[in-house]
Amino acid sequence: MAPVEVRDLSKRFGSVLAVNNLSFDIKAGRVTGFLGPNGAGKSTTLRALLGLVRPSTGTATFDGRHYEELERPSAKVGAVLEDASFHPGRTARNHLRVLAVTGDHPFERVDAVLADVGLTEAADRRVGGYSMGMRQRLGIAAALLGDPEVLILDEPTNGLDPPGIVWMRGLLRAQAARGRAVLVSSHLLAEVAQSVDDVVVISRGELRGHGTLESVLGGDEGLVTAVRAQDDERLTRALQAAGHTVKRSGDGLLVPGASPEQVGVVAGDAGVYLVGLAAQTRSLEQAFLALTGEATS
Amino acid sequence: MSNLLRAELLKLRTTRTFVALVGVSLLLSLLVVVLTGLLSDRIAPEDASDLFTADFTGLFIMLLGVIGMAGEWRHRTITGTVLAAPDRLRLMAAKMLAYAAAGLLLSLIVTVTIMVVGAIIFSARGFEAVPFSDLADVLWRNLVVAALVGALGVGIGALLRNQVVAIVGVLILGFVIEPALFGLAPDVARFGPTQGAPSGIQDIEFFGEESDPLSPGAATLVMLGWIALFFAAAGVRLRRHDLV
Repeated sequence: MAPVEVRDLSKRFGSVLAVNNLSFDIKAGRVTGFLGPNGAGKSTTLRALLGLVRPSTGTATFDGRHYEELERPSAKVGAVLEDASFHPGRTARNHLRVLAVTGDHPFERVDAVLADVGLTEAADRRVGGYSMGMRQRLGIAAALLGDPEVLILDEPTNGLDPPGIVWMRGLLRAQAARGRAVLVSSHLLAEVAQSVDDVVVISRGELRGHGTLESVLGGDEGLVTAVRAQDDERLTRALQAAGHTVKRSGDGLLVPGASPEQVGVVAGDAGVYLVGLAAQTRSLEQAFLALTGEATS
Repeated sequence: MSNLLRAELLKLRTTRTFVALVGVSLLLSLLVVVLTGLLSDRIAPEDASDLFTADFTGLFIMLLGVIGMAGEWRHRTITGTVLAAPDRLRLMAAKMLAYAAAGLLLSLIVTVTIMVVGAIIFSARGFEAVPFSDLADVLWRNLVVAALVGALGVGIGALLRNQVVAIVGVLILGFVIEPALFGLAPDVARFGPTQGAPSGIQDIEFFGEESDPLSPGAATLVMLGWIALFFAAAGVRLRRHDLV
Protein backbone atom coordinates (compact mmCIF):
# COMPACT_ATOMS: atom_id res chain seq x y z
CA MET A 1 0.00 0.00 0.00
CA ALA A 2 1.46 3.33 -1.06
CA PRO A 3 1.62 6.12 1.52
CA VAL A 4 -0.74 8.18 -0.65
CA GLU A 5 -3.34 6.61 -2.94
CA VAL A 6 -5.85 8.40 -5.11
CA ARG A 7 -8.39 6.13 -6.75
CA ASP A 8 -11.01 7.16 -9.30
CA LEU A 9 -11.28 10.57 -7.70
CA SER A 10 -13.89 12.89 -9.13
CA LYS A 11 -15.19 16.21 -7.85
CA ARG A 12 -18.01 18.19 -9.30
CA PHE A 13 -18.85 21.75 -8.28
CA GLY A 14 -22.32 22.29 -9.67
CA SER A 15 -22.02 21.81 -13.42
CA VAL A 16 -18.22 21.96 -13.40
CA LEU A 17 -16.32 18.65 -13.28
CA ALA A 18 -13.11 19.85 -11.65
CA VAL A 19 -11.52 16.42 -11.25
CA ASN A 20 -12.44 13.45 -13.38
CA ASN A 21 -11.62 9.88 -12.45
CA LEU A 22 -8.09 10.59 -11.22
CA SER A 23 -5.91 7.76 -9.96
CA PHE A 24 -2.26 7.84 -8.88
CA ASP A 25 0.07 6.82 -6.05
CA ILE A 26 2.78 8.76 -4.26
CA LYS A 27 5.76 6.70 -3.17
CA ALA A 28 7.77 7.02 0.02
CA GLY A 29 11.33 8.22 -0.31
CA ARG A 30 10.61 10.18 -3.49
CA VAL A 31 9.64 13.71 -4.43
CA THR A 32 6.65 13.78 -6.76
CA GLY A 33 5.76 16.87 -8.75
CA PHE A 34 2.07 17.51 -9.26
CA LEU A 35 1.81 19.51 -12.45
CA GLY A 36 -0.92 21.02 -14.53
CA PRO A 37 -2.06 24.31 -16.02
CA ASN A 38 -4.18 26.78 -14.07
CA GLY A 39 -7.60 25.32 -13.43
CA ALA A 40 -6.43 21.77 -14.07
CA GLY A 41 -7.76 20.53 -10.74
CA LYS A 42 -4.54 20.33 -8.75
CA SER A 43 -5.74 22.31 -5.74
CA THR A 44 -9.07 20.48 -5.73
CA THR A 45 -7.24 17.15 -5.76
CA LEU A 46 -4.95 18.16 -2.91
CA ARG A 47 -7.88 19.47 -0.88
CA ALA A 48 -9.84 16.26 -1.46
CA LEU A 49 -6.81 14.35 -0.23
CA LEU A 50 -6.66 16.51 2.89
CA GLY A 51 -10.34 16.17 3.72
CA LEU A 52 -11.08 19.83 3.01
CA VAL A 53 -13.24 19.01 0.01
CA ARG A 54 -15.64 16.09 -0.17
CA PRO A 55 -15.08 13.96 -3.31
CA SER A 56 -18.08 13.33 -5.52
CA THR A 57 -16.77 9.83 -6.14
CA GLY A 58 -13.57 7.92 -5.50
CA THR A 59 -11.14 7.96 -2.62
CA ALA A 60 -7.96 9.65 -1.53
CA THR A 61 -6.19 7.95 1.36
CA PHE A 62 -3.04 7.78 3.46
CA ASP A 63 -2.05 4.13 4.05
CA GLY A 64 -5.64 3.25 3.32
CA ARG A 65 -7.21 5.80 5.67
CA HIS A 66 -8.99 9.03 4.91
CA TYR A 67 -7.47 12.18 6.38
CA GLU A 68 -10.40 12.64 8.78
CA GLU A 69 -9.83 9.12 10.12
CA LEU A 70 -6.19 9.68 11.07
CA GLU A 71 -5.69 9.69 14.84
CA ARG A 72 -2.97 12.32 14.80
CA PRO A 73 -3.19 13.87 11.35
CA SER A 74 -0.27 16.26 11.82
CA ALA A 75 2.03 13.35 12.68
CA LYS A 76 1.05 11.62 9.46
CA VAL A 77 0.63 14.48 6.99
CA GLY A 78 2.10 17.97 6.83
CA ALA A 79 0.55 20.35 4.34
CA VAL A 80 1.32 23.81 3.00
CA LEU A 81 -1.51 25.16 0.90
CA GLU A 82 -1.45 28.19 -1.31
CA ASP A 83 -4.05 30.19 0.58
CA ALA A 84 -2.88 29.29 4.07
CA SER A 85 -3.08 32.23 6.39
CA PHE A 86 -2.44 33.12 9.99
CA HIS A 87 -4.10 35.32 12.59
CA PRO A 88 -2.25 38.62 12.19
CA GLY A 89 -2.32 39.35 15.90
CA ARG A 90 -0.64 36.13 16.96
CA THR A 91 3.11 35.53 17.01
CA ALA A 92 4.64 32.72 14.97
CA ARG A 93 5.72 30.92 18.11
CA ASN A 94 2.21 31.00 19.54
CA HIS A 95 0.72 29.91 16.23
CA LEU A 96 2.95 26.84 16.28
CA ARG A 97 2.25 26.24 19.96
CA VAL A 98 -1.47 26.11 19.23
CA LEU A 99 -0.79 23.49 16.55
CA ALA A 100 1.51 21.61 18.91
CA VAL A 101 -1.20 21.44 21.56
CA THR A 102 -3.80 20.37 19.01
CA GLY A 103 -1.58 17.65 17.60
CA ASP A 104 -0.15 16.59 20.97
CA HIS A 105 3.43 17.45 20.03
CA PRO A 106 5.99 18.70 22.57
CA PHE A 107 6.80 22.42 22.58
CA GLU A 108 10.42 21.52 21.83
CA ARG A 109 9.27 20.77 18.28
CA VAL A 110 8.19 24.41 17.96
CA ASP A 111 11.71 25.65 18.61
CA ALA A 112 13.13 22.97 16.32
CA VAL A 113 10.98 23.79 13.28
CA LEU A 114 11.43 27.52 13.79
CA ALA A 115 15.17 26.93 13.58
CA ASP A 116 14.75 24.66 10.55
CA VAL A 117 13.00 27.41 8.58
CA GLY A 118 15.14 30.27 9.88
CA LEU A 119 12.43 32.08 11.84
CA THR A 120 13.85 31.84 15.36
CA GLU A 121 14.69 35.51 15.61
CA ALA A 122 11.29 36.62 14.29
CA ALA A 123 9.32 33.99 16.23
CA ASP A 124 7.96 36.41 18.83
CA ARG A 125 6.81 39.02 16.34
CA ARG A 126 3.19 39.16 15.27
CA VAL A 127 2.58 37.45 11.94
CA GLY A 128 0.75 40.52 10.67
CA GLY A 129 4.14 42.15 10.19
CA TYR A 130 5.70 39.26 8.29
CA SER A 131 6.77 39.38 4.66
CA MET A 132 5.33 36.87 2.19
CA GLY A 133 8.50 34.81 2.36
CA MET A 134 8.35 34.69 6.15
CA ARG A 135 4.72 33.58 6.03
CA GLN A 136 5.66 30.84 3.61
CA ARG A 137 8.42 29.67 5.94
CA LEU A 138 5.97 29.68 8.85
CA GLY A 139 3.59 27.54 6.81
CA ILE A 140 6.39 25.09 6.16
CA ALA A 141 7.32 25.08 9.84
CA ALA A 142 3.72 24.24 10.69
CA ALA A 143 3.75 21.39 8.18
CA LEU A 144 6.96 19.97 9.66
CA LEU A 145 5.83 20.30 13.27
CA GLY A 146 4.59 16.73 13.61
CA ASP A 147 7.59 15.28 11.71
CA PRO A 148 5.07 13.80 9.28
CA GLU A 149 5.51 10.81 6.98
CA VAL A 150 3.88 12.64 4.08
CA LEU A 151 4.50 16.23 2.99
CA ILE A 152 2.08 17.96 0.66
CA LEU A 153 3.09 21.39 -0.62
CA ASP A 154 1.10 23.61 -2.95
CA GLU A 155 3.34 26.20 -4.64
CA PRO A 156 5.88 26.13 -1.78
CA THR A 157 8.33 28.54 -3.41
CA ASN A 158 5.80 31.39 -3.56
CA GLY A 159 7.34 34.43 -1.97
CA LEU A 160 10.76 32.86 -1.51
CA ASP A 161 13.87 34.60 -2.80
CA PRO A 162 16.48 32.61 -4.78
CA PRO A 163 18.37 31.45 -1.67
CA GLY A 164 15.01 30.45 -0.22
CA ILE A 165 14.15 28.45 -3.31
CA VAL A 166 17.49 26.63 -3.09
CA TRP A 167 16.80 25.97 0.58
CA MET A 168 13.35 24.61 -0.27
CA ARG A 169 14.82 22.29 -2.88
CA GLY A 170 17.25 20.95 -0.29
CA LEU A 171 14.45 20.52 2.22
CA LEU A 172 12.36 18.47 -0.17
CA ARG A 173 15.27 16.22 -1.09
CA ALA A 174 16.25 15.80 2.56
CA GLN A 175 12.71 14.80 3.51
CA ALA A 176 12.60 12.26 0.69
CA ALA A 177 16.01 10.94 1.72
CA ARG A 178 14.54 10.30 5.17
CA GLY A 179 11.92 8.10 3.58
CA ARG A 180 9.10 10.64 3.49
CA ALA A 181 6.63 10.81 0.64
CA VAL A 182 6.72 14.35 -0.76
CA LEU A 183 4.11 15.76 -3.14
CA VAL A 184 4.81 19.20 -4.59
CA SER A 185 2.37 21.11 -6.72
CA SER A 186 4.04 23.84 -8.74
CA HIS A 187 3.81 25.89 -11.91
CA LEU A 188 7.59 26.40 -12.04
CA LEU A 189 8.59 23.59 -14.36
CA ALA A 190 12.28 24.40 -14.30
CA GLU A 191 12.24 24.35 -10.53
CA VAL A 192 10.24 21.10 -10.50
CA ALA A 193 12.75 19.49 -12.83
CA GLN A 194 15.55 20.12 -10.34
CA SER A 195 13.58 18.86 -7.34
CA VAL A 196 11.47 15.87 -8.28
CA ASP A 197 11.86 12.20 -9.04
CA ASP A 198 8.35 11.50 -10.32
CA VAL A 199 5.58 13.60 -11.80
CA VAL A 200 1.83 13.43 -12.00
CA VAL A 201 0.50 15.62 -14.79
CA ILE A 202 -3.15 16.57 -15.00
CA SER A 203 -5.13 18.79 -17.31
CA ARG A 204 -8.83 19.65 -17.26
CA GLY A 205 -9.21 17.38 -14.26
CA GLU A 206 -7.84 14.30 -15.99
CA LEU A 207 -4.58 12.41 -15.67
CA ARG A 208 -2.18 13.03 -18.58
CA GLY A 209 0.90 11.29 -17.33
CA HIS A 210 2.32 9.60 -14.25
CA GLY A 211 5.81 8.24 -13.76
CA THR A 212 9.40 9.36 -13.60
CA LEU A 213 10.16 12.85 -14.82
CA GLU A 214 12.20 11.44 -17.67
CA SER A 215 9.52 9.07 -18.89
CA VAL A 216 6.66 11.53 -18.68
CA LEU A 217 8.23 14.78 -19.81
CA GLY A 218 11.54 13.75 -21.34
CA GLY A 219 13.61 15.81 -18.90
CA ASP A 220 14.55 19.44 -18.95
CA GLU A 221 15.97 20.66 -22.24
CA GLY A 222 16.01 17.00 -23.34
CA LEU A 223 17.41 16.13 -26.74
CA VAL A 224 15.08 14.26 -29.04
CA THR A 225 15.98 12.99 -32.50
CA ALA A 226 13.32 12.67 -35.17
CA VAL A 227 14.06 9.98 -37.75
CA ARG A 228 12.30 8.49 -40.76
CA ALA A 229 13.53 5.22 -42.19
CA GLN A 230 12.65 2.86 -45.03
CA ASP A 231 12.06 0.16 -42.44
CA ASP A 232 10.79 1.74 -39.22
CA GLU A 233 10.23 -1.57 -37.48
CA ARG A 234 13.78 -2.82 -38.10
CA LEU A 235 15.19 0.53 -36.98
CA THR A 236 13.01 0.45 -33.87
CA ARG A 237 14.32 -3.00 -32.93
CA ALA A 238 17.90 -1.91 -33.50
CA LEU A 239 17.50 1.25 -31.41
CA GLN A 240 15.82 -0.61 -28.58
CA ALA A 241 18.58 -3.24 -28.63
CA ALA A 242 21.04 -0.37 -28.25
CA GLY A 243 19.16 0.80 -25.12
CA HIS A 244 17.18 3.68 -26.61
CA THR A 245 13.51 4.48 -26.08
CA VAL A 246 11.56 4.81 -29.31
CA LYS A 247 8.21 6.55 -29.78
CA ARG A 248 6.15 6.71 -32.94
CA SER A 249 5.31 10.19 -34.12
CA GLY A 250 3.30 10.63 -37.28
CA ASP A 251 5.09 8.88 -40.13
CA GLY A 252 8.39 8.68 -38.27
CA LEU A 253 10.02 7.93 -34.96
CA LEU A 254 11.19 10.01 -32.00
CA VAL A 255 14.20 8.89 -29.99
CA PRO A 256 14.41 10.85 -26.70
CA GLY A 257 17.86 11.37 -25.23
CA ALA A 258 19.74 10.37 -28.39
CA SER A 259 21.65 12.61 -30.78
CA PRO A 260 21.27 12.33 -34.56
CA GLU A 261 24.80 10.91 -34.69
CA GLN A 262 23.92 8.12 -32.27
CA VAL A 263 20.79 7.24 -34.21
CA GLY A 264 22.74 7.34 -37.46
CA VAL A 265 25.35 4.91 -36.11
CA VAL A 266 22.69 2.46 -34.95
CA ALA A 267 20.90 2.68 -38.31
CA GLY A 268 24.17 2.16 -40.18
CA ASP A 269 25.13 -0.85 -38.10
CA ALA A 270 21.66 -2.35 -38.68
CA GLY A 271 21.76 -1.63 -42.41
CA VAL A 272 18.64 0.53 -42.31
CA TYR A 273 18.39 3.33 -44.86
CA LEU A 274 17.30 6.68 -43.42
CA VAL A 275 15.00 9.10 -45.20
CA GLY A 276 15.17 11.86 -42.63
CA LEU A 277 17.27 12.59 -39.51
CA ALA A 278 17.15 15.73 -37.36
CA ALA A 279 17.65 16.86 -33.75
CA GLN A 280 14.52 18.09 -32.05
CA THR A 281 15.31 19.91 -28.84
CA ARG A 282 12.17 19.81 -26.74
CA SER A 283 12.09 21.88 -23.67
CA LEU A 284 10.31 20.81 -20.55
CA GLU A 285 7.74 23.50 -21.21
CA GLN A 286 7.06 22.18 -24.69
CA ALA A 287 6.74 18.65 -23.38
CA PHE A 288 4.38 19.82 -20.68
CA LEU A 289 2.28 21.82 -23.12
CA ALA A 290 2.14 18.89 -25.53
CA LEU A 291 1.06 16.56 -22.75
CA THR A 292 -1.60 18.85 -21.33
CA GLY A 293 -2.88 19.92 -24.71
CA GLU A 294 -2.57 23.59 -23.80
CA ALA A 295 -1.90 26.15 -26.57
CA THR A 296 1.46 27.87 -26.56
CA SER A 297 1.56 31.65 -26.07
CA MET B 1 -11.14 16.78 22.96
CA SER B 2 -8.98 18.06 25.81
CA ASN B 3 -6.21 18.94 23.34
CA LEU B 4 -8.68 20.85 21.19
CA LEU B 5 -10.05 22.70 24.20
CA ARG B 6 -6.54 23.60 25.42
CA ALA B 7 -5.65 24.78 21.92
CA GLU B 8 -8.72 27.02 21.72
CA LEU B 9 -7.97 28.51 25.14
CA LEU B 10 -4.39 29.13 24.00
CA LYS B 11 -5.74 30.89 20.90
CA LEU B 12 -7.80 33.15 23.18
CA ARG B 13 -4.78 33.97 25.34
CA THR B 14 -2.47 34.76 22.44
CA THR B 15 -4.34 37.57 20.72
CA ARG B 16 -5.55 40.88 22.05
CA THR B 17 -9.24 40.29 21.28
CA PHE B 18 -10.16 38.85 24.68
CA VAL B 19 -8.27 41.52 26.62
CA ALA B 20 -9.79 44.26 24.46
CA LEU B 21 -13.31 43.01 25.04
CA VAL B 22 -12.70 42.67 28.78
CA GLY B 23 -11.47 46.25 28.76
CA VAL B 24 -14.40 47.67 26.84
CA SER B 25 -16.97 45.68 28.80
CA LEU B 26 -15.40 46.71 32.09
CA LEU B 27 -15.23 50.34 31.06
CA LEU B 28 -18.87 50.53 30.04
CA SER B 29 -20.11 48.60 33.06
CA LEU B 30 -18.03 50.76 35.43
CA LEU B 31 -19.33 53.90 33.75
CA VAL B 32 -22.91 52.86 34.41
CA VAL B 33 -22.23 51.91 38.03
CA VAL B 34 -20.16 55.02 38.77
CA LEU B 35 -22.61 57.45 37.19
CA THR B 36 -25.57 55.77 38.85
CA GLY B 37 -23.82 55.76 42.18
CA LEU B 38 -22.79 59.41 41.96
CA LEU B 39 -25.92 60.87 40.46
CA SER B 40 -28.68 58.97 42.27
CA ASP B 41 -30.29 60.33 45.41
CA ARG B 42 -30.87 56.88 46.75
CA ILE B 43 -30.21 53.32 45.65
CA ALA B 44 -32.02 50.51 47.42
CA PRO B 45 -30.14 47.22 47.83
CA GLU B 46 -32.44 45.44 45.37
CA ASP B 47 -31.79 48.16 42.76
CA ALA B 48 -28.06 47.85 43.34
CA SER B 49 -28.30 44.12 42.72
CA ASP B 50 -29.94 44.79 39.37
CA LEU B 51 -27.19 47.29 38.58
CA PHE B 52 -24.56 44.59 39.11
CA THR B 53 -26.02 42.26 36.51
CA ALA B 54 -23.54 43.87 34.07
CA ASP B 55 -25.86 43.87 31.07
CA PHE B 56 -23.17 44.90 28.59
CA THR B 57 -21.07 41.91 29.55
CA GLY B 58 -23.45 39.34 28.14
CA LEU B 59 -23.51 41.08 24.79
CA PHE B 60 -19.73 41.39 24.62
CA ILE B 61 -19.28 37.75 25.53
CA MET B 62 -21.64 36.70 22.76
CA LEU B 63 -19.69 38.89 20.35
CA LEU B 64 -16.47 37.31 21.60
CA GLY B 65 -17.82 33.90 20.66
CA VAL B 66 -18.94 35.19 17.26
CA ILE B 67 -15.52 36.69 16.59
CA GLY B 68 -13.75 33.57 17.77
CA MET B 69 -15.57 31.38 15.27
CA ALA B 70 -16.38 33.66 12.33
CA GLY B 71 -12.90 35.12 12.63
CA GLU B 72 -11.52 31.82 11.32
CA TRP B 73 -13.08 32.73 7.96
CA ARG B 74 -12.23 36.40 8.21
CA HIS B 75 -8.53 35.68 8.73
CA ARG B 76 -8.62 32.64 6.40
CA THR B 77 -7.32 30.44 9.18
CA ILE B 78 -10.19 27.95 8.91
CA THR B 79 -8.22 25.73 6.50
CA GLY B 80 -5.30 25.37 8.89
CA THR B 81 -7.66 24.88 11.82
CA VAL B 82 -9.56 22.08 10.08
CA LEU B 83 -6.32 20.44 8.92
CA ALA B 84 -5.19 20.33 12.54
CA ALA B 85 -8.63 19.22 13.78
CA PRO B 86 -10.45 17.50 10.90
CA ASP B 87 -13.43 16.43 13.04
CA ARG B 88 -15.38 19.64 12.50
CA LEU B 89 -18.09 18.94 15.06
CA ARG B 90 -15.55 18.29 17.80
CA LEU B 91 -13.78 21.45 16.76
CA MET B 92 -16.96 23.48 17.14
CA ALA B 93 -17.77 21.82 20.47
CA ALA B 94 -14.27 22.64 21.75
CA LYS B 95 -14.69 26.26 20.70
CA MET B 96 -18.06 26.44 22.44
CA LEU B 97 -16.55 25.12 25.66
CA ALA B 98 -13.57 27.45 25.37
CA TYR B 99 -15.70 30.52 24.84
CA ALA B 100 -18.04 29.47 27.63
CA ALA B 101 -14.97 29.42 29.88
CA ALA B 102 -13.77 32.74 28.48
CA GLY B 103 -17.20 34.21 29.10
CA LEU B 104 -17.09 32.98 32.69
CA LEU B 105 -13.73 34.66 33.24
CA LEU B 106 -14.80 37.92 31.59
CA SER B 107 -17.99 38.02 33.63
CA LEU B 108 -16.11 37.22 36.85
CA ILE B 109 -13.64 40.06 36.26
CA VAL B 110 -16.33 42.61 35.38
CA THR B 111 -18.88 41.61 37.99
CA VAL B 112 -16.43 41.51 40.90
CA THR B 113 -14.86 44.82 39.83
CA ILE B 114 -18.14 46.70 39.54
CA MET B 115 -19.34 45.23 42.84
CA VAL B 116 -16.21 46.44 44.61
CA VAL B 117 -16.32 49.88 43.00
CA GLY B 118 -20.06 50.13 43.51
CA ALA B 119 -19.79 49.16 47.16
CA ILE B 120 -17.15 51.85 47.72
CA ILE B 121 -19.28 54.55 46.07
CA PHE B 122 -22.48 53.48 47.79
CA SER B 123 -20.75 53.40 51.16
CA ALA B 124 -19.26 56.85 50.58
CA ARG B 125 -22.69 58.19 49.74
CA GLY B 126 -24.31 56.53 52.74
CA PHE B 127 -26.49 54.08 50.80
CA GLU B 128 -27.59 50.85 52.41
CA ALA B 129 -25.11 48.04 51.74
CA VAL B 130 -26.11 45.13 49.54
CA PRO B 131 -26.13 41.89 51.54
CA PHE B 132 -23.30 39.52 50.63
CA SER B 133 -25.81 36.78 49.86
CA ASP B 134 -27.43 39.01 47.25
CA LEU B 135 -24.05 39.77 45.70
CA ALA B 136 -23.25 36.07 45.54
CA ASP B 137 -26.63 35.43 43.95
CA VAL B 138 -25.97 38.06 41.26
CA LEU B 139 -22.49 36.67 40.64
CA TRP B 140 -23.47 33.05 39.98
CA ARG B 141 -26.36 34.10 37.73
CA ASN B 142 -24.01 36.36 35.74
CA LEU B 143 -21.54 33.50 35.39
CA VAL B 144 -24.20 31.09 34.12
CA VAL B 145 -25.41 33.62 31.54
CA ALA B 146 -21.82 34.37 30.53
CA ALA B 147 -21.02 30.72 29.87
CA LEU B 148 -24.21 30.18 27.88
CA VAL B 149 -23.97 33.28 25.68
CA GLY B 150 -20.28 32.60 25.01
CA ALA B 151 -21.14 29.16 23.63
CA LEU B 152 -24.10 30.56 21.71
CA GLY B 153 -21.89 33.20 20.10
CA VAL B 154 -19.68 30.45 18.68
CA GLY B 155 -22.74 28.71 17.23
CA ILE B 156 -23.93 31.94 15.62
CA GLY B 157 -20.48 32.59 14.19
CA ALA B 158 -20.24 29.03 12.86
CA LEU B 159 -23.60 29.25 11.12
CA LEU B 160 -23.21 32.68 9.57
CA ARG B 161 -19.39 32.58 9.00
CA ASN B 162 -19.30 36.24 7.92
CA GLN B 163 -18.02 38.10 10.96
CA VAL B 164 -19.59 41.45 10.10
CA VAL B 165 -22.99 39.93 9.32
CA ALA B 166 -22.90 37.89 12.52
CA ILE B 167 -21.94 40.85 14.73
CA VAL B 168 -24.54 43.12 13.17
CA GLY B 169 -27.10 40.34 13.43
CA VAL B 170 -26.47 39.87 17.14
CA LEU B 171 -26.72 43.62 17.78
CA ILE B 172 -29.96 43.91 15.81
CA LEU B 173 -31.38 40.90 17.59
CA GLY B 174 -30.46 42.26 21.00
CA PHE B 175 -31.30 45.93 20.56
CA VAL B 176 -34.11 45.87 18.01
CA ILE B 177 -35.82 42.55 17.42
CA GLU B 178 -36.17 41.23 20.94
CA PRO B 179 -37.27 44.58 22.46
CA ALA B 180 -39.76 45.01 19.61
CA LEU B 181 -40.99 41.47 20.11
CA PHE B 182 -41.63 42.22 23.76
CA GLY B 183 -43.97 44.97 22.74
CA LEU B 184 -45.81 42.70 20.32
CA ALA B 185 -45.68 39.30 22.02
CA PRO B 186 -44.09 39.41 25.48
CA ASP B 187 -44.73 35.72 26.13
CA VAL B 188 -42.60 34.94 23.07
CA ALA B 189 -39.95 37.58 23.75
CA ARG B 190 -38.96 36.02 27.08
CA PHE B 191 -37.55 33.05 25.11
CA GLY B 192 -35.15 35.28 23.17
CA PRO B 193 -31.49 34.29 23.29
CA THR B 194 -29.88 37.72 23.83
CA GLN B 195 -32.21 39.42 26.33
CA GLY B 196 -35.30 37.35 27.10
CA ALA B 197 -33.90 34.09 28.43
CA PRO B 198 -30.79 35.67 30.05
CA SER B 199 -33.11 38.01 31.96
CA GLY B 200 -34.87 34.94 33.33
CA ILE B 201 -31.60 33.43 34.56
CA GLN B 202 -30.54 36.73 36.10
CA ASP B 203 -34.03 37.25 37.56
CA ILE B 204 -34.29 40.84 36.31
CA GLU B 205 -37.18 42.60 34.67
CA PHE B 206 -35.21 43.63 31.63
CA PHE B 207 -38.24 44.79 29.72
CA GLY B 208 -39.73 46.63 32.66
CA GLU B 209 -42.13 45.81 35.46
CA GLU B 210 -44.66 44.31 33.03
CA SER B 211 -42.27 41.62 31.91
CA ASP B 212 -42.76 38.13 33.29
CA PRO B 213 -39.38 36.44 32.80
CA LEU B 214 -38.95 32.71 32.77
CA SER B 215 -37.76 31.00 35.92
CA PRO B 216 -33.96 30.59 36.06
CA GLY B 217 -34.24 26.84 35.46
CA ALA B 218 -36.57 27.19 32.49
CA ALA B 219 -34.48 30.04 31.06
CA THR B 220 -31.32 27.94 31.34
CA LEU B 221 -33.01 25.12 29.43
CA VAL B 222 -34.16 27.58 26.78
CA MET B 223 -30.61 28.87 26.35
CA LEU B 224 -29.29 25.31 26.11
CA GLY B 225 -31.93 24.71 23.46
CA TRP B 226 -30.73 27.73 21.49
CA ILE B 227 -27.14 26.48 21.72
CA ALA B 228 -28.18 23.00 20.57
CA LEU B 229 -30.15 24.47 17.67
CA PHE B 230 -27.26 26.59 16.42
CA PHE B 231 -24.81 23.73 16.99
CA ALA B 232 -26.96 21.40 14.89
CA ALA B 233 -27.55 23.89 12.09
CA ALA B 234 -23.94 25.05 12.00
CA GLY B 235 -22.73 21.47 12.26
CA VAL B 236 -24.68 20.39 9.19
CA ARG B 237 -23.37 23.37 7.24
CA LEU B 238 -19.81 22.95 8.48
CA ARG B 239 -19.59 19.27 7.62
CA ARG B 240 -20.90 19.83 4.10
CA HIS B 241 -18.83 22.91 3.43
CA ASP B 242 -16.05 22.45 0.89
CA LEU B 243 -13.05 24.51 1.98
CA VAL B 244 -11.77 25.67 -1.40
